[in-house]
Amino acid sequence: MSKYMVITNNPLVRSRLDDTHEVIYLELSYEELLKVVRDRIYEGHRLLTHPLSGSVKPKETPYKSVLISERKEKVDGESVRLIENAILVCQKFQDKSKYYKEEVYKDFQLVDWTLLESGLASADVW
Amino acid sequence: MSKIKVVHYINQFFAQIGGEEKADYPAEIRVGEVVGPGLALTQNFKDEAEIIATVICGDSYFNENLEKAKADILAMVKEQAPDVFIAGPAFNAGRYGVACGTIAAAVQEELGIPAVTGMYVENPGADMFKNDVYMISTKNSAAGMRDAVKKLAPLAVKLAKGEKIGSSAEEGYIPNGVRVNFFEKERGSKRAVKMLIKKLNDKPYVTEYPMPNFDRVEPNPAVKDLAHAKIALVTSGGIVPKGNPDHIESSSASHYGEYDITGVTDLTEETYETAHGGYDPVYANEDPDRVLPVDVLRDMEKEGVIGSLHHLFYTTVGNGTSVASAKAFAAEYSQKLKADGVDAVILTST
Amino acid sequence: MRLEMGNIYIKDIQFADTSKIEDGILYVDKGAVKAVALEDEHIKTVTFDIAKPGESVRITPVKDVIEPRVKVEGKGGVFPGIISKVDTVGSGKTYALKGMAVVTAGRIVGFQEGIIDMTGPGADYTPFSKTLNLVMVCEPVEGIKQHEYEKAVRFAGFRVAAYIGELARNLTPDETKVYETCGIKEGITQYPNLPRVAYVQMLQSQGLLHDTYVYGVDAKKTLPTILSPTEIMDGAIVSGNCVSACDKNPTYVHENNPVVHDLFEEHGKTLNFVCQIITNENVYLADKERSSDWTAKLCKMLDLDGVIVSQEGFGNPDTDLIMNCKKIEAEGIKTVIITDEYAGRDGKSQSLADADVAADAVVTGGNANEVVILPKLDKVIGTLDYVTKIAGASEDTLREDGSLEVELQVITGATNETGFNKLSAR
Repeated sequence: MSKYMVITNNPLVRSRLDDTHEVIYLELSYEELLKVVRDRIYEGHRLLTHPLSGSVKPKETPYKSVLISERKEKVDGESVRLIENAILVCQKFQDKSKYYKEEVYKDFQLVDWTLLESGLASADVW
Repeated sequence: MSKIKVVHYINQFFAQIGGEEKADYPAEIRVGEVVGPGLALTQNFKDEAEIIATVICGDSYFNENLEKAKADILAMVKEQAPDVFIAGPAFNAGRYGVACGTIAAAVQEELGIPAVTGMYVENPGADMFKNDVYMISTKNSAAGMRDAVKKLAPLAVKLAKGEKIGSSAEEGYIPNGVRVNFFEKERGSKRAVKMLIKKLNDKPYVTEYPMPNFDRVEPNPAVKDLAHAKIALVTSGGIVPKGNPDHIESSSASHYGEYDITGVTDLTEETYETAHGGYDPVYANEDPDRVLPVDVLRDMEKEGVIGSLHHLFYTTVGNGTSVASAKAFAAEYSQKLKADGVDAVILTST
Repeated sequence: MRLEMGNIYIKDIQFADTSKIEDGILYVDKGAVKAVALEDEHIKTVTFDIAKPGESVRITPVKDVIEPRVKVEGKGGVFPGIISKVDTVGSGKTYALKGMAVVTAGRIVGFQEGIIDMTGPGADYTPFSKTLNLVMVCEPVEGIKQHEYEKAVRFAGFRVAAYIGELARNLTPDETKVYETCGIKEGITQYPNLPRVAYVQMLQSQGLLHDTYVYGVDAKKTLPTILSPTEIMDGAIVSGNCVSACDKNPTYVHENNPVVHDLFEEHGKTLNFVCQIITNENVYLADKERSSDWTAKLCKMLDLDGVIVSQEGFGNPDTDLIMNCKKIEAEGIKTVIITDEYAGRDGKSQSLADADVAADAVVTGGNANEVVILPKLDKVIGTLDYVTKIAGASEDTLREDGSLEVELQVITGATNETGFNKLSAR
């Protein structure tokens, strides 16, 4: 039984993890995805990876994958703080995620996947 | 090239009309005159600019006849059509600082003429207007005039010319919430080492990025006996009796209101409304209980869930109201609430 | 540990038949360096070029910048765990070629960034407009995976830098500096009245294109540990980080870490520079908690009075920075942090993604969102194809006159968070 779930808008993450993990795949923008994560956190899920993982800027990359706890507990203040700050951060970047050539999206997907992968490696230790 | 035209604003004291006893001196303009600190400014303009008129107004007069004084002075300035407007510097004089900030912001906003002022960072006018107009940081008394005009005059010239304004550290204005890049004399690591040495030796140092202002208040322990507690309602959502009798401003509120709700069980469209200008008021006006829940608290009072609802509520508008003002309001009405034996407060916002 | 650094100033770089350094001029045999770069089967071709300060040249997309060095005395060799064996470095004698750098460039992923302008306004922002740059652009073999390609280019850069550094082995340095820290006991007796200070360096460690290696070990798989500050001078820490050009630390910055150098300046005078502590910036939140707990614990065990903490990258590391600062301050240790800002193009947004009152002494490398216009330059080394796609660049990046409208974030090293530059903001 997995103790976490993945919320992602990255099709590569879905295809890599769908069979083995609990993946919530949503066709949403970076910022909208963070808002979905936020709503889950207010329901009592805990944030397990940093919502601004990666140095590729929000809206530069369209992709984002976040790990949250499967269990719901009391709302975690630290998770709330991080996700709310992350959503605020998004708002100061210009949206460039629509202007790339096809292969660039593949690269963005790959990098998002590897960032998540490094989080999964830590999560699976538990 | 002709010189940059400046209109300068000062109070009765700096115009050498008199002190507190002359503070009710009404606004006047002296065209072609350079008065008081205007002389020091002129020296620092280095022939690039000249003061074409000086506006003088008593501090009490300005603050007590705010709307009229503002309108009159704006009309005077407009007629002169200067390239830049300078107010003060006000140093630590509170009402003068507020007047300088108010009029400089109004000239800039309403006449589209760039304006600059100067005052001590703890002057109440600083917190109120530093994000609206460039405000040179001065010492806390007129002894700092020489230093103040040295920064004020060149900044005014730059503004008049429409030149790029550098960072607060370069130009000498009070940080205004806009981060501006510039090149320091030393690299960052060197500055960090120097800052650390100061910090280690308990010497003053200035952080290059002040953290956002946190004023975290630890929540009080839960009310143990709600059934016997007297609960009061306080809001920054602007709910006021219909007609807003105390004229609480729709933004940047300068005061709060205290209203009696003895016998009131429900706030209705006919009796109450919101003074708030920062959100769509339709739903609040339709049923003001949505912001100030008198109705449900009356129910709870009846059901015995709470002891009683305090007969007074306190209200203001949170829209752009400065932290300093909000703190001052709360400090005052908290004392009243305590004196009235209130056990707990429900504070609603929007 | 005691390290003698011999600096050899390079005044010019020229291509020649034989590689050598003579009278401060570096002669590079193209064929020889090509062979060194092509030792890796993943690299199909490599082209070498020279970019000098003041020339109308733009290098992009830059991957890494490396200062060639050679270990002439003492244990180990440069870039331990990567080029040399894993012996502990940081003692003996090392020579560095000052005033020059090996720059690796070329596309690894489609959105790669990093601009070095050798002239014009862009040159004011990047520290690498002031170095003579030997630029290598690598093309991969077909069908290679991005992570293999990244690794191949990373290693090729180090091999070439080591090859160039080796040319200096038998030279006499123009200048020699000695860097020495003492053991715990020795420090207490030698400097009984000086505050004990360490440098806490946070290393980028989030995944592909976001990694840093310490003696060859991936930093995300490490726990915070202690280094002698001289170890970095032998290349103990190298960059595998290609994202966020303005605030990533190229290997050059690790080798010349300015906090280490400026703390050494004060060592024995106003403070006792005890050691360097390195920690990471993982994406997993529990890793952050553990690492920052350990960093604070190490600071306490070392009886420190003060630390400087530096950051690398954007967003996620803000949280590590604040955690480190908060926890170290909570141990009663005075802390100064170095960061940069993303305050929006208008400078009005909140600069960091995290904040705390404990962070009351901050040095900033400037607002990375600030817009700068880079004029068209005569020559491009690498490719401009991706400039319009890189961080900070918008769809109308390339203006009609060929100039670029970009945010500072695309310029290599512009808002470095180890305090490498003079740029700041208020």
